[in-house]
Amino acid sequence: MTNHWIDLKNSDCILIMGSNAAENHPISFKYITQAQLKGATVISVDPRFTRTSSKADIYAPLRSGTDIAFLGGMIKYILDNNLYNKEYTENYTNAGFIVNKNFGFKDGLFSGYKKNEEGPSMGSYDKSTWTFDMDEKGVPVVDRTLANKQSVFQLLKAHYSRYDLDTVSSVTGTSKEDLATVYKAYSATGAAGKAGTIMYAMGWTQHTVGVQIIRTMSMIQLLLGNMGVAGGGVNALRGESNVQGSTDQALLWHILPGYLKIPSSSMDTLDAYNTKWTPKSNDPLSANWWQNYPKYSVSLLKSYFGEKAVKDNQFGYPWLPKAEDGKSYSWFDIFDSMYKKEIKGFFAWGMNPACSGSNAQKVREAMGNLDWLVNVNLFDNETGSFWRGPGMDPAKIGTEVFMLPAAASVEKEGSISNSGRWMQWRYQGPKPMGNSRPDGDIILELGRRLKEAYKTDGVFKEPILNLKWDYDTHGEFDAHKVAKEINGYFHEDVKVGETVYKKGTLVPSFAFLQSNGSTSSGNWVYCASYTEKGNMAARRSNKDAANNIGLYPEFAWAWPVNRRIIYNRASVDPKGRPYDEKDWVVRFAGEEKDGKYTTSKWEGDIPDGPWYPLQNPDGTKREDGRHPFIMTTHGHGQIFGPGLADGPFPEHYEPIECPVEKNMFSAQMVNPTAVVYGTKADSHATCDPRFPFVGTTYRVSEHWQTGLMTRPQEWLLELQPNVFVEMSEELAKLKGIANGERVKVSSARGALECTAIVTKRFKPFKIGYATVHQVGIPWHYGWRWPETGTEESANLLTPSAGDPNTRIPETKAFMVNVAKL
Amino acid sequence: MKLNRRDFIKISGATAAGIAVSGLGFDLKPVKAHAGMLKTRYAKETTSICCYCAVGCGLIVHTSNRGDGRVINIEGDPDHVINQGALCSKGSSIKQLTENKNRLTEPMYRAPHSDHWQKVSWDWALSQITDRIKRTRDANFETANAKGQTVNRTTRMASVGSAAMDNEECWVYQALMRSLGLVYIEHQARI
Amino acid sequence: MTKSIFVDTTICTACRGCQVSCKQWHDLPAEKTKNVGSHQNPQDLSFMTYKLVRMREEIIDNHLQWLFFPDQCRHCVDAPCLATAFNEDAIYQDPATGAILYTQVTKKLAADEIIGSCPYNIPRKAEDGTLAKCDMCNDRVHNGLKPACVTTCPTGAMNFGDREEMLAMAKSRLATVKAKFPKAMLLNPDEVNVIYLVAFDPKYYSDYAVASSGRGGISRSVALRKMMGPLAKMMRV
Repeated sequence: MTNHWIDLKNSDCILIMGSNAAENHPISFKYITQAQLKGATVISVDPRFTRTSSKADIYAPLRSGTDIAFLGGMIKYILDNNLYNKEYTENYTNAGFIVNKNFGFKDGLFSGYKKNEEGPSMGSYDKSTWTFDMDEKGVPVVDRTLANKQSVFQLLKAHYSRYDLDTVSSVTGTSKEDLATVYKAYSATGAAGKAGTIMYAMGWTQHTVGVQIIRTMSMIQLLLGNMGVAGGGVNALRGESNVQGSTDQALLWHILPGYLKIPSSSMDTLDAYNTKWTPKSNDPLSANWWQNYPKYSVSLLKSYFGEKAVKDNQFGYPWLPKAEDGKSYSWFDIFDSMYKKEIKGFFAWGMNPACSGSNAQKVREAMGNLDWLVNVNLFDNETGSFWRGPGMDPAKIGTEVFMLPAAASVEKEGSISNSGRWMQWRYQGPKPMGNSRPDGDIILELGRRLKEAYKTDGVFKEPILNLKWDYDTHGEFDAHKVAKEINGYFHEDVKVGETVYKKGTLVPSFAFLQSNGSTSSGNWVYCASYTEKGNMAARRSNKDAANNIGLYPEFAWAWPVNRRIIYNRASVDPKGRPYDEKDWVVRFAGEEKDGKYTTSKWEGDIPDGPWYPLQNPDGTKREDGRHPFIMTTHGHGQIFGPGLADGPFPEHYEPIECPVEKNMFSAQMVNPTAVVYGTKADSHATCDPRFPFVGTTYRVSEHWQTGLMTRPQEWLLELQPNVFVEMSEELAKLKGIANGERVKVSSARGALECTAIVTKRFKPFKIGYATVHQVGIPWHYGWRWPETGTEESANLLTPSAGDPNTRIPETKAFMVNVAKL
Repeated sequence: MKLNRRDFIKISGATAAGIAVSGLGFDLKPVKAHAGMLKTRYAKETTSICCYCAVGCGLIVHTSNRGDGRVINIEGDPDHVINQGALCSKGSSIKQLTENKNRLTEPMYRAPHSDHWQKVSWDWALSQITDRIKRTRDANFETANAKGQTVNRTTRMASVGSAAMDNEECWVYQALMRSLGLVYIEHQARI
Repeated sequence: MTKSIFVDTTICTACRGCQVSCKQWHDLPAEKTKNVGSHQNPQDLSFMTYKLVRMREEIIDNHLQWLFFPDQCRHCVDAPCLATAFNEDAIYQDPATGAILYTQVTKKLAADEIIGSCPYNIPRKAEDGTLAKCDMCNDRVHNGLKPACVTTCPTGAMNFGDREEMLAMAKSRLATVKAKFPKAMLLNPDEVNVIYLVAFDPKYYSDYAVASSGRGGISRSVALRKMMGPLAKMMRV
């Protein structure tokens, strides 16, 4: 989330699309309700009418997988009706940038496309034309009037001119009236002082066009001036208690902590690595924050290897594993490789891939190819016990399995980071049950044993032996010691300004980090979380900040540097005055003389950098101001986004499996850069009469993820005892299915038995002249719990296809059949 | 830690109050003798954050100070600025998550081709896992790729997990995995 | 001053935190349930389910409504069950809170008569004949805490406080809600301490959302006993 949960109360219009907040983030409705009681409009866009829809002012259904069409139509509506925030768009976004004249888009393809002969990626782009014209100083040429035909703004207009109500309606199945109602209500937040927010989750990410759906909305937020303001932003509702923190700490193949890049084989030295990832800007008004990259990468290496990391050994950079350039090591790739018998050993820590992985049967079979599996969890699960699951013959499965009992969250101490980036400290209540142990202790002990084993012999021992591993107190994992390491220390006396920071003390914030090895920081975005002033995450003051918008700056701690709303410099005009006087986030409060600012001071939230505003009160430009989007190289919000794999403007493509034979927008049926896997366990069936209905997966309020932390609880099983499939009364009639009876749901990959919920909340879609039925299944179940063994995972149905940028699977739109047993 | 219940409710004229009980779990006689006694009265109070979605709701955990030292009650923390005491159905069931008869409490091992689990010691399990890691890593370590570039990795081991771990656990976990040369490191954020 | 709960169903999201937190606080076991084609479960209140969010899908004025009704004992101001029981060891009212409380002595009562006396069809019988229902978390209330269901409610659908305060809140919310839902109403506000606000005709929410004319109330013999209340009590002593 660019904003945070409490901030929802400041919104004038809340669009809940690609998420179902009332069911999956129930406490968010505390603030949605507060906003609504103050007059905000709540919009729910969802294939089925949910508990969120039941409380919305406007509900609009759409066919799964057509969100870009829906939102592209909103862009056209905003532009056609001049509802965009003119000053904001002109000054703070790249709408006025001039795009390379060789850039083009034709019939669904951007310039530079090349089809891949080998999978899993279907194709890729040479992005050399997706660039901006630069002046002689190397600064982007900008036409702030937005009139230039080659400007981003004009290209945007042309691109979305095709997204008219008729076409959009015929793709999404949403009525034109409903589309217009949503567009009108949301676009009204383009007015000065109005804020609109988006709440999305896996309903947007789990598509072959997932990232581009989110980008379409981000572009709308920029056009309407909704970024950086209270009650605005782009808000991903993260689904696990610490999925934000675990992402920040880089439990993903492509990053290192703090969103640093994973080193790859072509970057053989630390210099080459730092040069590659440190962006250059020649614009003095661009903060280009990533120019600090080497300070963060070297400080991270100092945290990994401590005193063993010195300049002469490139601070241990050669000890880090290097990814192969151009190769992906994502979730899908792990199980594809495991299925192909390439992976021998596998750890599943607090995860249940046998139920959570898309195309779960492939995952289950793949685990049978392992030599060994380590499964760490609170409960036995479908992963640890895969060898005795449905259809498995234990005698034929040679995988050794170690199952380690983990402690529950209330049995240990440490911090987690919520969706609003708030790092919050937890304390130990009871001791771990029985012989269960906190994950931290298991990891620490495993590390000790490995270090011991490599003392005598072993291949490439240095990284293991040199890894700093002093995070215990009396032999037990000490979360405080690690939290301090994540924050970082001075390793020498360092003089910054007039102050000398002593060796061994904690670094006050990331502005103090150095690239010469004199500081460490396990994660630069967390630098300032645990300082000489104490553990910031443990703070509990309920005093609000001066702007009284619910920031609570001394309750817990938010990254970065306790900033509660990021990009908040975009909430003020170029003179530093809030666009919204009432719910202001930051405002410039420096002294002024003769129409010029003379001292720098900001009030409210921690501003995105201490610099002056872009202009003086008299309208003259300042050389020491900065553009507000400090994390982008050029300082502007990116309406034209050249960084993604599938195009700088989002375009509608159909899901890999879809019910229509034609993409109404172009000849490109599916995302031409999607990833689709191709083993014999990966079949797909599109427009196939065997699988005539759109299927989607989702969650319910009463269970969580694969259900492993909810299915063993009788109280929650009481509320939702069985896996179900929801369908319309029309489809039930067509298939002769009665409400409450067990039915079989199948796809090209697998099948499971579900209880039918026949409901008015699903309605057939009218797609062109055709009627398209959709069904939905929660993915919370698995054969291990409840012990009847009758409830299975919806991921037995889902495809092996995903987004080209993230490789997140397309579990929100695929094709199924439903039949009576 | 100091808790300050902002929602304290005053009862006017409360005298011989009875605890309201019926049916299950309590000895009900004499009814009115239990006036005002809460089951959490002598418990240790700690705060935590809910382990389910990422709203980050505050919890108060009541742990028995006597006997088995287990959880008596878990409810929303009224002084937490986000949830102000509120919890959904899942958050309300964390006591049952923690005090659950189905929990794993001992390390277990399944031998190749076996049809059952066997209970093992931590020492044995961790020594065996250390051995498997070292053998797999050392037999399959790539110092250079086909182009001769230095890579120092192994692609024969993979690890997934976990958004259920604390930040500090995540950090040491990824440091250890990367020191071993793993590149297949993924978790819930990818799915 | 007695206490009341105000339930604003117009902002209930059926997260069912109340349903579980009730079991959590009271250490009540779960029921073995089955999905019968609805998200609502269990299907009804029971001896071990004091609080149940009823969920119904209705087409009202051509619009689909998913209606949620967190059902529980109304803690009647003048409770027919109490009068029917006529045994303060079994059913009594806490004068401090107004809560209607059942004890194990309810086993000795004619259960069907008590259940039948309830206009809202609330009390439920265990196998051994003991009666059970919501106790307004009287132990919590006496210790300065709100009932578990109210504490846990995220949206403000569940509210707790002095009766006058709750009545005022209910009336104020009704006035606001009427603009959007002209048929909104409070359910028997003068007769109960658990006051519901509904947006539509109460029959859409539950068969017993309002006091049912077809059941409950006080039989003639009970009315007679009630009239003689103080005298009867003296005689018992």
